[in-house]
Amino acid sequence: MPPIPISFYLILAAALFCIGLYGALARRNAVAILMGIELMLNAVNINLVAFWRYISGDPAKNQTGIVFALIVITLAAAEAAIGLALIIAVYRSRDTVNVEDVDLLKW
Amino acid sequence: MQLQFVDLAFLIPILPFLAFAAIVLFTRRNHKLSAQLAIGAIAVAMALSYGVFFEALARGASLGKEPFHYTPLVWYDYGNAKFSMGWLIDPLAAVMLFMVTTVCLMIFIYSAGYMREKIADERGHSVEIDDPRYSRFFAYISLFTAAMLTLVMSSNLLQFFAAWEVMGFCSYALIGFWSFRGAREHHIDDAQVGRARAAALKAFLTTRVGDVLFMSGMIFLFIATGDLDFKTIFTPDKLNLLATAQPFPLAGVPWVTLIALLILAGTIGKSAQFPLHIWLPDAMEGPTPVSALIHAATMVAAGVYLIARTYPIFVKASEIGGPAMQAVAIVGAFTALFAATMGLAQDDIKRVLAYSTISQLGYMIAALGIGAFVAGSFHLVTHAFFKALLFLGAGSVIHAVGTNNMMLMGGLRKKLPITSLTFMIGALALMGIPPFAGFWSKDEILGDALRQGLAGKPESTLPLIVWGLLISAAFLTALYTARQIFLSFFGQPRDEHVYEHAHESPPVMWFPLVVLAIFATLIGLWNAPFFNGFFNFVGAGGIFGVEREFERGVFDQLALVSALISVGAALAGIFIGWLLYGWHPLRAGQRDPLARLGFFWTLFRNKYYADELYGYSIYADGSGRAGAFIRFVVGLASFAFTFDRRIIDGLVNLGGAIGRGFARLGNFFDHYIVDGLIGAIADVTGETAGGLRLVQSGKVQGYLLLALLGATIFALIYIAKSLT
Amino acid sequence: MLTAITFLPVIGAIIILFLPNNRAIKTFAIAWSLIPLIISIVVWVVLPTYPGGYFIYNGCGSAIANASANFHLNECASWIPAINVNYHLGADGISIPLIFLTTLLTTVGLYYSARVINERVREFFFLFLLLETGMLGVFVALDFFLFYIFWEVGLVPMYFLIGIFGHEEDRPQYSAIKFFLYTLAGSVFMLLSIIAIYLNSNPQSFDMTLAMQPGAHPFVNQFINNFSYATLAFIGFFLAFSIKVPLWPFHTWLPDAHTAAPTAGSVVLAGVLLKLGTYGYVRILMSVFPDVFRAAAGIIGTLAVISIVYGALVAMAQTDFKRLIAYSSVNHMGYVILGLAAAAALTPADYKNQNLVNSASTAVNGAVLEMFVHGIITGALFFLVGMLYERTHTRDLKVFGGLGAKVPVYAALLLLASFASLGLPALAGFVAEFLVLRGAYATLTTMSFFAVIGIVLTAAYFLWKVIQRVLLGTLNPTWINLPDLHGYEIITLVPLAILMILIGIYPQWIISTINDASVAILKMIGG
Repeated sequence: MPPIPISFYLILAAALFCIGLYGALARRNAVAILMGIELMLNAVNINLVAFWRYISGDPAKNQTGIVFALIVITLAAAEAAIGLALIIAVYRSRDTVNVEDVDLLKW
Repeated sequence: MQLQFVDLAFLIPILPFLAFAAIVLFTRRNHKLSAQLAIGAIAVAMALSYGVFFEALARGASLGKEPFHYTPLVWYDYGNAKFSMGWLIDPLAAVMLFMVTTVCLMIFIYSAGYMREKIADERGHSVEIDDPRYSRFFAYISLFTAAMLTLVMSSNLLQFFAAWEVMGFCSYALIGFWSFRGAREHHIDDAQVGRARAAALKAFLTTRVGDVLFMSGMIFLFIATGDLDFKTIFTPDKLNLLATAQPFPLAGVPWVTLIALLILAGTIGKSAQFPLHIWLPDAMEGPTPVSALIHAATMVAAGVYLIARTYPIFVKASEIGGPAMQAVAIVGAFTALFAATMGLAQDDIKRVLAYSTISQLGYMIAALGIGAFVAGSFHLVTHAFFKALLFLGAGSVIHAVGTNNMMLMGGLRKKLPITSLTFMIGALALMGIPPFAGFWSKDEILGDALRQGLAGKPESTLPLIVWGLLISAAFLTALYTARQIFLSFFGQPRDEHVYEHAHESPPVMWFPLVVLAIFATLIGLWNAPFFNGFFNFVGAGGIFGVEREFERGVFDQLALVSALISVGAALAGIFIGWLLYGWHPLRAGQRDPLARLGFFWTLFRNKYYADELYGYSIYADGSGRAGAFIRFVVGLASFAFTFDRRIIDGLVNLGGAIGRGFARLGNFFDHYIVDGLIGAIADVTGETAGGLRLVQSGKVQGYLLLALLGATIFALIYIAKSLT
Repeated sequence: MLTAITFLPVIGAIIILFLPNNRAIKTFAIAWSLIPLIISIVVWVVLPTYPGGYFIYNGCGSAIANASANFHLNECASWIPAINVNYHLGADGISIPLIFLTTLLTTVGLYYSARVINERVREFFFLFLLLETGMLGVFVALDFFLFYIFWEVGLVPMYFLIGIFGHEEDRPQYSAIKFFLYTLAGSVFMLLSIIAIYLNSNPQSFDMTLAMQPGAHPFVNQFINNFSYATLAFIGFFLAFSIKVPLWPFHTWLPDAHTAAPTAGSVVLAGVLLKLGTYGYVRILMSVFPDVFRAAAGIIGTLAVISIVYGALVAMAQTDFKRLIAYSSVNHMGYVILGLAAAAALTPADYKNQNLVNSASTAVNGAVLEMFVHGIITGALFFLVGMLYERTHTRDLKVFGGLGAKVPVYAALLLLASFASLGLPALAGFVAEFLVLRGAYATLTTMSFFAVIGIVLTAAYFLWKVIQRVLLGTLNPTWINLPDLHGYEIITLVPLAILMILIGIYPQWIISTINDASVAILKMIGG
């Protein structure tokens, strides 16, 4: 079986990213936006791992790609935690998670 | 060594001072106790003084060259030297102690009665009450006495000056004793208050003029000799130094002459000599015991005592030909006559005595000026007794009749037998009728003057002039005294109400009169020509610092002639006085016979217009008018004030205004130029920001969209670039 | 010891900020101010047991220690080593009486104010104690930098005391600003002069004792034959001190400031602040610039005589009681300057004549004593004016009269203070005036003669304007219910009255202290 070409992974990642982007831009629910962001981050992770496996030569020697992926995962976890905490805080004070209503930080 | 009285002499002034302090601090509410305290203190001081006096007398004339001298108290350091205070008792000081304490004690006793006033109570009964400030009166006269005794005994000129000034303060306070009035002072009216306060001020300031000159002289003496202690400075070396060295700005005048003249200025102020005599008549506004004590017997005599104390300087000045002694003689003799003329024209019983005092002080000073040291200082002693007597007598009259105006008196002899008798004894002593005290001392002065004047030497002219002036003054003295006696005690009452009111004073007042009358009668015999006791004590041994010997009074033809002339002049004065006032006694409303003098009468009555010229006239209603010179000074003061406010402060404020002007200019520049530039930058930034701020909607997704847009644009650019 | 005296008041001032109520503040401030007073008396008493040049602490090296031989109870520590600023305190016979005066007047001032100040109490007592530190610091500082700092520290509290606690009708703001700016203008020149001294000394130092050393004189060292530089520095100090004294014609801030200040403020202003100027004359102009002062003695003496006569004349024209006393200060401070100018006028040749040196030291003694007694007497007079004002709410001399019969205790004390002020012997003022004139006549004869005229004028305005207008005459019915002095007012005045009499009768106890210092100073500048 011929190996799966890299374009497969890239297309998957692009699709996942677009879904995430759409979620982040179009959804009004802050939790949904957060989930969109998670999708985008994971899309990036797929890209990183795919490029590491296909392009970086000897995968055993050069581990930059997976290290990056691991950092992003950690980041995503932290981001999710803070994001959810913020959302709960906003919800507590304003009784909503609708981002349209949260616009204090403006001119 | 046995304890002597002189060792305790320092107690003499301290005792009255303690009485003063005690009265002020503790007993001022208890009038009786205050008076007792004051009298007790002076009585003990008198006892001590008598002890000192007799000790000195026992030492005899040698004390003149070698006085008792103690300086235990270091008063201050200056540089590497020290200035000490102490006491010095030479024969003259001993006599003065004797005289001052005796007179003071009598006057204190008298005051205890005098300072009570008769007032009508609510039922119309006449009751005697103490003056509301009775205690204060005794406090002041105690302080005064302490100062006078300090002065007499002082060992140096600074201490002398300090006591001199404290006396000036007491004089001020006592002349102005009735210068303020609250609810309790019933016996004085507003006019009297006004007169008293103006008189007190006048007295203090007039004497102050003399005092500062005296102080300058004292300082010069200090600078020239390096000390002020009498024993130290009156040594031949120091006096020669004074005679040769010259003060810096006044080349040609030796120190000694300058200092002598400045000291004379002090005497002129304190002893009320021309031209600073103007204060003494007005000083009669004080209670009469004060006039007797301060303005007759002691303080004014201190001026004479000053010259006697610093006599070595005067002698030295005359030895080197300086005009100091001559100035003394002329001032004294002129004042003697000058004051006597004014005494003629007074209606106030005390003012007559005041002018008489000025005139008699003139005698003493003239005597010192012609070198008759012993005669001058003897007259100082006798005068103190009989003038105190006269004042106290006048006070007794005033106490009895309630007025000072002789024109309202008359015939009081019957009502006041003791007072009038003692007063007449005093008057005879003053006129110079033997054997009363004044005759001996005054005749001695006149005799000395005549003897020197007839010596036929080139310097005899001055004593002759002095003699002429003094003998005329003697005639006038007799005349005004006779006028005074005939107006007050003889003739018919000119005011029935006043006469009805009159009554003899209580024993506490007439007792001192009698004692003083005895002294006034007998004290003169001490130096009568056949006895010469005073001379033997004070003059025979010379005085320290003066190398000249004093001549013993001789009883020769010339002395007899001189005595006859002076008694003749006095008798002539009495006779004319009797002719004018005794033969046809003055009736109420009648013009004074002396008014026939016309222009002179006006001049005498207006005191030669000295007050209008440089003094201060005090009118009967309590108002006053400053003389030309004082108005000039006050004008200068208000000019200085205007100058201060307008010019100097104006300049300061101008400086401030200029500062403010610059500040405004700066403000303008800052606001429109500097601040304008900054503002412009800020404005541009602000406007731009105003436009841009619309972008910030606060909506997170909006920002995200923009970020996406940006990324897209960058991506497109990148693609486009890579395509080309 | 000097550090304790100087800084205790400011510590007290800080404590006052934390006290709960007015009562506590007042009690505490009075009690606290007693401590420096007691220490100052102790210092005076123990002074003879410490030799000159004795250092309680010396962190400044031997050069300064050698130069401080005239000063007792020295304390020296390096403060800002980069520019050689030292914390150097020391006292001599001239500063000791002034320190005592300061602490005494502060205590009685606080005691009196405790009764009459009832608004903004905390500020008042805080400022007053701060002021005390400033004044004491000037008297003990032996470092130019420190001297300047204390000089300025004294300025600020006084500004607020006048501005906040002044009576509205006296334009307190105007007066306060005038006082502040005028004095500040002077001290700016002083600062320039201090920097000039610093830059021209070798090694560069702010220490006063070094600058006083003959031969080690900064300008002589640096600019031989070039006097103009020293003269400029002299003028800077001269302006600062003369404004503070105040010497004619720099005096016009004084009547305004005095009139507007609250009673205790006037007392301290006249009693102590003016002495900062005259103290500067002795400590700096005379000791650091003897040559320039000698050349300027004629001019300064003339200004002093003008101050005396002119001050007396202007005082005579016053109708406001307080303003009159204020002008009397101009009059009296003239004597101080006259005495100092006379002492400074001695030429090197004169120093060989012991009589003249004694005269000069008499003049300095008199001047310093005049500073002290003027503080006592004028302090008492300002208290008396204030007490009258508290009762009548006016100071117009025309509306009084006859009070002598109504308020005998007040009258007695006013009489005492007035006569002490006009120089009656046996009271303090005379001793000082006599010594000044005694000293001044020896060198500045003509000027002294004119100064003597001032004595007569002083007597005239005190008797005519004060005694006669206030005490004598018939009682004005308006004041029929005027109460006499209360117990606390008498307690305020009694220490001052006792000192007036004590110094007048027996001045040796204070003059011996001053004399030691004046002899030392003259010896130093005369070589």
